[in-house]
Amino acid sequence: MINDFVFYPSHCIFLFVKKNYISKKMKKIAFALVLGISVFFAACETSDINPNDKNSVSLYFENLVGTDPVVLNTKTYTNASSEDFTISTFNYFVSNISLKKSDGTELKFADKYFLVKQSVESSHTITLPDVPAGDYTSVSFMVGVDSAKSVSDVSQRTGVLDPASYGTDNMYWSWNSGYIFFKMEGKSAKSTNAAKDYKFHIGGFGGMTAKTANNLRTVTLTMADLAKVRKNIAPEVHLAIDVQKVFKSTLKIAESNTIMNPTLGTAVANNYKDMFAVEHVHNDEM
Amino acid sequence: MKLKLGIVLVISILLWGCSKEETTEPDTPLVLFEKPSTFPNTSYKMESNPITEDGFLLGKKIFFDGKLSRDGTISCAECHNQPYAFTHHGHAQSHGIDGLVGPRNAPALQNLAWGKTFFWDGGVFDLDLFSLAPIENPVEMDEQIGNVLEKLRKDVTYPPMFKKAFGTEDITTERFLKSLSQFMLTLVSANSKYDLYKAGKASFSADEKAGLTLFNEKGCASCHPEPLFTDESFRSNGLPTDFFRNFVDTGRYRITELKEDKYKFKVPSLRNIEYTFPYMHDGRFISLEDVLDHYADGNMANLETLDPIFKQNTKIGIALNQKEKSQIIAFLKTLTDESFLKDKRFVP
Repeated sequence: MINDFVFYPSHCIFLFVKKNYISKKMKKIAFALVLGISVFFAACETSDINPNDKNSVSLYFENLVGTDPVVLNTKTYTNASSEDFTISTFNYFVSNISLKKSDGTELKFADKYFLVKQSVESSHTITLPDVPAGDYTSVSFMVGVDSAKSVSDVSQRTGVLDPASYGTDNMYWSWNSGYIFFKMEGKSAKSTNAAKDYKFHIGGFGGMTAKTANNLRTVTLTMADLAKVRKNIAPEVHLAIDVQKVFKSTLKIAESNTIMNPTLGTAVANNYKDMFAVEHVHNDEM
Repeated sequence: MKLKLGIVLVISILLWGCSKEETTEPDTPLVLFEKPSTFPNTSYKMESNPITEDGFLLGKKIFFDGKLSRDGTISCAECHNQPYAFTHHGHAQSHGIDGLVGPRNAPALQNLAWGKTFFWDGGVFDLDLFSLAPIENPVEMDEQIGNVLEKLRKDVTYPPMFKKAFGTEDITTERFLKSLSQFMLTLVSANSKYDLYKAGKASFSADEKAGLTLFNEKGCASCHPEPLFTDESFRSNGLPTDFFRNFVDTGRYRITELKEDKYKFKVPSLRNIEYTFPYMHDGRFISLEDVLDHYADGNMANLETLDPIFKQNTKIGIALNQKEKSQIIAFLKTLTDESFLKDKRFVP
């Protein structure tokens, strides 16, 4: 693999000295070689990965229905079971992010929790600071709030984990202590309830005082483009999230318009864990 | 001369008395939490939230404040009155905002530091996280915690109280919940006639003694063991399920979704039971006599999850005659802790 081969300046110097010795015998060739080596040396400098360099990696979560960007409330979509639906709320927690290099080394972002909300544009981008320079081949994250955090002291519940931060768009079950990992709501003519709506609130970290459903899911995505972190490159990983995967052909609004308990939520979590894909990676120089 | 000396002496004593009172009173700390010597270690991590007088006073003010509810009418104290061991006196199912009635009876607030779970179904595992539930419940306070904090920030009395309790005027979820916990943790009841009897400081009547013996022999103590008079477990005591407005309360099952937990409810403490009526998770029994009749008269529903302790006789339940019932009730009344029910520290 080409990305396994790392150029170090010392290699270039060694080559330079060796070639220079030969050039004593053939001046013309020497000139060409020096020129070539100079170019090579310059190339070494730009592709060099200095492990002391750091930059950020951002993950951009673009929520789509198929290939169309999600439009809240006003647009009507059709799922795999030919059911119409609108989307009024589409939220999910992302945590335990890690970036992996091809050599298997993994960079973990512990104790960082993010809430992606379709209604809040700024929440679609997660920025991971201080990533050491390197070529990263995959990204992994948990959809939800891990069990350790879910049972932690209230002092640990700040930022997007603060129950006071949700307002009417609640992401916390106060009656059954735990976070709502994934929330999707909207309207559908196929709903059998009077309001003609559907509500999928998926949570369940496995239980504190009894073993209960565990709907935490970890997603690992390979980045074909590689995320090339350099002193002057802060890669942006563009993720495409296909809402249709929440339904697949298994979840039908006509059959389940309200899912708010963890055991029923398991099937939905098994569907939405597959909604994430890496679309492409921007490795633009700054 | 003697008179003069006498006057000087009297004035000196008076002054001394005055100054003594002035210097010592503010220094006397309010004793807020002491683990009764007969109690086990607390379940609550006391070191995570050290109780201070300022934290306690803040928590108490919040406990009695209607601002916790959407329209300002419902405080914690609405359903948790001190004279009835912090229960909703006279209400089978507790009612909250707009007169809406919830499906369950407000449990007593006492010895919460030893609670492993909270609510009849144990849905909350940390006292600090408890108060979010009644605030957000549409039939209790129907408010959002974020709004509550905003209301307290705008109230001139709160920011200085938060500063006294926590060092700065910042009103955060953690501080709000932990001050409430500080108040609730101090609600310790361990000074009933029973406690005094165990300590050799009071004597039981013949009926009370017989009641205590029956309480142990008939198996009551297997679920309600001293000193807390609950084992904190979830059990089915055979309450017919169709009692309340055709609403079938599945209890612990609602939380665990395990078939074996259907119709199980948290075993309540029997401390102050004389005053926590009506009884059971939905308040279906008005009197202790009704409760014992349920256990003794074979009217239990033979639910699949019925606790095995009730299946030891040919007839399900516990075999008790009228005299035994009255003796057990006499014993249960020794669990009343007047000093707790009238403790002035808990009065707003």
